[in-house]
Amino acid sequence: MAIPLVPKLLRAHLAELAAEDMRHDGRGRFESRDVELEIDCLTRADGSARVRMGDTIVFAGVKFQIMKPYPDRPNQGGLMCSAEVRPVAGRQWEPGPPSPQSIELGRVVDRGIRESGCINTEDLCIIPGEKAWQVILDLFAVSDDGNLFDAFALAAIAALKSATVPAERFEAGEDMPLEVSKTPIMCSYHKVGGRFVYDADRREELGGDERIHITLGDDDHVHSLQKGLKGIFTAAEFAEIMNEARSRCAELRDLVDKAIEGE
Amino acid sequence: MGGYGDVQCIDENGIRLDGRKIDEVRPMSIEVGVVPVADGSARMTWGLNDVIAAVYGPMEAHPRKIQRQDRAVLDVRYNMAPFSTTDRIRPGFNRRSREISKVTAEALESVVLTELYPRSKIRVEIEIICAEAGTRCAGITAASVALAHAGIPMTDLVVSVASGKVHDIVVCDLNKEEDNYGEADLPMGILPNSGELVFLQMDGDLSPDQFQEAWDYNMEAAKVVHKHMVEALKRGEA
Amino acid sequence: MKGWLVARPDNMSGDNRADGPRRSQQAPLLVAPGDDLGDSGEFDAGHGVLVMDGRLRALKQGRMNNRDGTVSIEPRRTAYVPRPSDLVIGYIEGCTSNIWFIDIGAPFNAILPMSLGPSKAEFGGIRKVLDIGDAILCRVQEVEENHSSVVTMKGMGLRAIRSGSVEEIDPHLLGRLIGRGGNNLRQLKEETECRVIAGDNGRVWIDGDLGGIIEARNKLNDLLEKAKVAEYGGVA
Repeated sequence: MAIPLVPKLLRAHLAELAAEDMRHDGRGRFESRDVELEIDCLTRADGSARVRMGDTIVFAGVKFQIMKPYPDRPNQGGLMCSAEVRPVAGRQWEPGPPSPQSIELGRVVDRGIRESGCINTEDLCIIPGEKAWQVILDLFAVSDDGNLFDAFALAAIAALKSATVPAERFEAGEDMPLEVSKTPIMCSYHKVGGRFVYDADRREELGGDERIHITLGDDDHVHSLQKGLKGIFTAAEFAEIMNEARSRCAELRDLVDKAIEGE
Repeated sequence: MGGYGDVQCIDENGIRLDGRKIDEVRPMSIEVGVVPVADGSARMTWGLNDVIAAVYGPMEAHPRKIQRQDRAVLDVRYNMAPFSTTDRIRPGFNRRSREISKVTAEALESVVLTELYPRSKIRVEIEIICAEAGTRCAGITAASVALAHAGIPMTDLVVSVASGKVHDIVVCDLNKEEDNYGEADLPMGILPNSGELVFLQMDGDLSPDQFQEAWDYNMEAAKVVHKHMVEALKRGEA
Repeated sequence: MKGWLVARPDNMSGDNRADGPRRSQQAPLLVAPGDDLGDSGEFDAGHGVLVMDGRLRALKQGRMNNRDGTVSIEPRRTAYVPRPSDLVIGYIEGCTSNIWFIDIGAPFNAILPMSLGPSKAEFGGIRKVLDIGDAILCRVQEVEENHSSVVTMKGMGLRAIRSGSVEEIDPHLLGRLIGRGGNNLRQLKEETECRVIAGDNGRVWIDGDLGGIIEARNKLNDLLEKAKVAEYGGVA
């Protein structure tokens, strides 16, 4: 990713807006952009989802492969999460090897899913010591207008929850839904003009400072946290956004459940 | 290429596996503006193909070594998403993709007025979201719509389609089984207003008559595809 | 200020002036690249049109106009190509000891030599005067094929931009923003009580109190929406 020029004017303007409790697109401080969630949108994937948040658009595809369990974990399969922000997603995403930004994206989303334990790798075992399922989750950004983190995380869990293990194609039994025991949801807060806001768009990310990603599971259990970029925040600031995250994660969890039920 | 023997791609009534007659094109749709942050973009579904193309530029050409003093360069990237095929594709460098990127750039450079923007580059990003035979053709076609959507001046759109041969019968617009089990594949890039060519490849075995038949099928199919392209552009932003 | 030439035809013949809201007698004729637009003996080629083998050919997608015998296309988007004496808003991207590099939204960056910058600049210390990330209002001095264009801040009203907000619109919509005789722009300034300066590179500087800036930005967006509808004959 090419590090974009941050116009000082933008930062000053965003600070002025923040002082009046305003955002440049007229949204409220913790208001999100319009969210669209679509599942089963990729014909060749075993589970898939497409998420749109404002003008940010991403895909998640789940594919299964057979693996040999690791010697020290003969009863377990695997989960691999790979995130790519290809140059198609924006002018600032220049071609080349994965940038630190896109690597961080992938790893933060991966931790949110993995650490929640929503996929039990023992369930993925076919023949102990010989055969197990490897679940591969590919996250693919098509348009970056800010907040790829939340878009990726939402697409990821929706794709996993609607995935079908293609046992018949691999002659390992009958097709069955992938067991996903809970629904971890990520909410990201960006410090813009001196205060944290939710669902920052590209302009706010460009002119903003540090960010905090919170992944909560069912019953508000905390599964992963990450603070990114340069900046200092207080315990009070954190408590405020943690509170917001609880209600927003619940809303998004509902959205996922409705999409899955509707299938 | 080369028969696997058992797959019957055309039945005794001349109907193909997807229900088409031998001279028919697969169903398709084109939509512009699907990547809102791009300068121009288009999405094309063609059979089971699902392709997104986005254009950024003209912009300063970096790295310096690709810059040309007299014109803009087209910096084209053709890529297949990991979940686009039945067997997952590992992300990373791929020779096939590199070759397709190069021939695509050369096809598009033949129509873009690059002399208007010396020392700059125009990025063309082609992503195959779902693949089913003829991805390079769908890619070139979608890219050409995306360039037009981005307001890049071009002397014509580029329409690309591949006909071929299966069970010794020449067919228009190969589908997946025909591409896998057939005996020839002829993808072409055609300028619809003049019938001239900017892209041409061929693999397999075609007699002179069969070659002409496949050529003609491509020319006819190009007219159908071109209509979709122009309609999509006129419909404006999604 | 030469702000009224819009949709500049790169280096094709003819000029296309958009003097304000257009009233068309019939549904707009929408064309795509490659379309044949007539005999080059009868009409001249304007923006987005090229003469090829005695015929006029569309190079862009958009609405075709035939005005005073010149056929041109109003495109959805134009890349900004700098011309001498253009008024532009730029961002400082970098510098050496005596040159600033400016992003002016063109296919290549421009340079601002110390001698053409604010008078206070000193060799080796120019960042004290204009730092990376600063915005400036400047004029294009010189454009040449083989090197970056040169901009200058010597001139009336040219200065560093220290307050307000900069919006970006497609250069070909500047005519609509400014309006016939500058009417639209004047009205916008009065209604919002803001200073509004439209650069030829499609960047618009709005300065005033916060409420005014927001109102001006909203009005700008409305204008762009209306332009989109007008171009495509009401089909969004």
